[in-house]
Amino acid sequence: MMPLANYLVLGAVLFVLGAIGFLTRRNLIIMFLCAELMLQGVTINLVAFARQHGNMTGQVFTLFILTVAACEAALALALILMLYRRRKSLDVSLWQDLREPGLDSSVDADAPLEEPLPESLPKLTPAGLEPDQTPEDTYV
Amino acid sequence: MFDVGALLWAIPGLPLLAAGVTACLGPNLLKRQSHWPVILGSAGSCAVSVILLFALATSPGQKPALEAPGLSDWFSIGDFQLPLTLQADSLSAVMLLAITFVGTMIAIFSSYYMAHEDGYPRYFAVMGLFLAAMTGLVLASNFLVLYAFWEGVGLCSYLLVGFWFQKPAAAAAARKAFLVTRIGDAGFILGIMILWQRYGSFDYSVVFQRASANPHGLELPCLLLFCGAIGKSAQFPLHVWLPDAMEGPTPASALIHAATMVTAGVYLLARCAHLFALTPTTQLVVSCVGGFTALLAALIALTQHDLKRVLAYSTVSQLGFMFLGLGAGLRDNGLAVFAASAAIFHLFTHAFFKALLFMTAGSIMNSMGHVIDMRRFGGLRRVLPVTHWTFLCGALALAGLAPFAGFWSKDQILEAVLHAGHQSEAYGTIYMGLFAVALFTAGLTAFYTFRAYFRTFWGAERIPEEAYHHGHGHDTEDHGSSKHRFETTLAQKFPLVVLAIGAVVIGAILGAPHWINALLARSTAFVFAKSSPEFHVNWWLVIGSTVCASAGIGLAAWMYLIKPALADKLAAAAPSLHRASTQRFYFDELYTFAVVKPLAVFALVMRFFDSIVDGIVDLVGMFPRWFARFLRTVQDGLVQSYTLIMLVFLTAFLAIFVLWTR
Repeated sequence: MMPLANYLVLGAVLFVLGAIGFLTRRNLIIMFLCAELMLQGVTINLVAFARQHGNMTGQVFTLFILTVAACEAALALALILMLYRRRKSLDVSLWQDLREPGLDSSVDADAPLEEPLPESLPKLTPAGLEPDQTPEDTYV
Repeated sequence: MFDVGALLWAIPGLPLLAAGVTACLGPNLLKRQSHWPVILGSAGSCAVSVILLFALATSPGQKPALEAPGLSDWFSIGDFQLPLTLQADSLSAVMLLAITFVGTMIAIFSSYYMAHEDGYPRYFAVMGLFLAAMTGLVLASNFLVLYAFWEGVGLCSYLLVGFWFQKPAAAAAARKAFLVTRIGDAGFILGIMILWQRYGSFDYSVVFQRASANPHGLELPCLLLFCGAIGKSAQFPLHVWLPDAMEGPTPASALIHAATMVTAGVYLLARCAHLFALTPTTQLVVSCVGGFTALLAALIALTQHDLKRVLAYSTVSQLGFMFLGLGAGLRDNGLAVFAASAAIFHLFTHAFFKALLFMTAGSIMNSMGHVIDMRRFGGLRRVLPVTHWTFLCGALALAGLAPFAGFWSKDQILEAVLHAGHQSEAYGTIYMGLFAVALFTAGLTAFYTFRAYFRTFWGAERIPEEAYHHGHGHDTEDHGSSKHRFETTLAQKFPLVVLAIGAVVIGAILGAPHWINALLARSTAFVFAKSSPEFHVNWWLVIGSTVCASAGIGLAAWMYLIKPALADKLAAAAPSLHRASTQRFYFDELYTFAVVKPLAVFALVMRFFDSIVDGIVDLVGMFPRWFARFLRTVQDGLVQSYTLIMLVFLTAFLAIFVLWTR
């Protein structure tokens, strides 16, 4: 049996990787995935301690976290979709409106890392008849 | 008979309602019909006043008074309660009749005079408010309610003088009127407070009763009350505001600055005759101030060219007459009652003929295209026939020629002063001197009134250019021809004729049989009198005052009708005197130099001092802002930087937590 420290180190490595990714990347989806990575680092800790102590508490917690993470993913992706529609970009640095008045927005000198997405959004495979859609003027 | 007391609320209530209706509906709904609520409201008020007067006149009691049921307390502090009640006796009733009747006539006239002005509903709303406040002032049953309404009429005066507030002169005049009367009001409220402190009540009857029991040291509160009257009634030394107040619309001048509001001071002193009769020294002051003001204003009126200003100074002069009469009530006997009733009688007749004169001035002004300088028009008797005849009636009444209204009331005042001269041991000679001054002033009054009359209506016909251009939809074709009609509407002529009839007959009806004196003597204000006044006609006095008035009229006719060059020669003969009179004896300059300029310098110094204090306060306020300039950069709106800060501090916290708790 591997010692507890190995599991904890793995969890810590996952957490730090996630944190670094969150801090350094500007793509909303990647930032979200990094946040998930940090979460999983924590859950590994919980599972490892559950194993160590020989009870189920940590595993129950982990299952609970997974459920919540699934809900959260649904919400977050929907939000990201809405944000994308507003700015036609996933760059988080475009969303600095809540800064102090009078401060300049921080802009990277580098070119954006990812290619801009195509104009048309990916659509779900239509099931049955396609509903009549009137194009929306505004998405507010 | 039904309870007239409850009707008292209608007298200030109807104009107030009218003011509210006009203010709410006027700008959008009534527009050019905005005069109807006020005309109807004041006419209703007038009807109630007539009922009230009859109820009081026919009442069998010795001192009949009606009290309106109080709606509620105005306020209560601890044990002290101030009820909001109205009370009417014959003194109030006579005042009410003058206010509401003249008010109705002026409201009708205003609908002609103001017909083409912007702010038509505003004018009538304020006018309704004024009538409500003025009737409330007269009906108040204690000093504090009186003071509240006193300030209310001051406010309305301010609003109406400054009706054309875009005009700098009008705005300045309104401010001056308000501030100068405020000086008097400060004294007035102090006087009320001293009375309250000494006698523990604001109620007239209670104060008067307790004052009789303990009249010691009553001079100070009486003088302070008189101070309020000086301010409101434009007596020397606070007379400077009234002539400037002529910047307002002429009907407003007629109502507020001739007939009603400026007489509030006279009413106050008549109401407090009880207190004043107890202090002969104060009465002497009142008489001297009144007599001096009457003479001073008459001297200034001699040389003014502005018709409205002549009338304004004549108002100041006539108010001086009233105070002169009031001050003659030296003792708590019939003389005090006679003096006060003579002053109120003069107030009553003056309200009629002076409102009439002002409205004729308004009629001239509107016809001449807002020109009121007597040098620019003349010989208008054929152009404005109705105005001419009504002005003549008013002028004869003001000059005090028998049997016109002013004669009877002025004669009573002179008689009261003469009686005071005979009865007072200590001040007898002073009162005789005042009597001589009053007689001389009566002659001056006749002179300057007829100077204005002859210069306006006689001589060669001169009509200023503006008369034809100041459009009321007249064609320009009849320019220069005598076909141009200036008197057209009934609203212009009807009030003039009604008031002219009043100015002719009212004195003879009320004054000749001393009917009004008998009525006023039954007022509750005069309960102190130990004997009732005796009325008799002093034929020597009648002849003397008639001679004075006729001499004044004759001199005016000689100087301005027969030998027009004489006036200029006379002015050239005494240039300094003439200049002093045209420059109003330099009172405005004196006040500017002695009061306004030092205050302005003081204000400048204070402003500098304030800027230092302000600077220090601002400096303290700078520190948080300066500090925040560094902190605010943290909030840059970027998610990553928030996360970084969170992680750094979380790590630091955990590190400390782990390392320290080990």
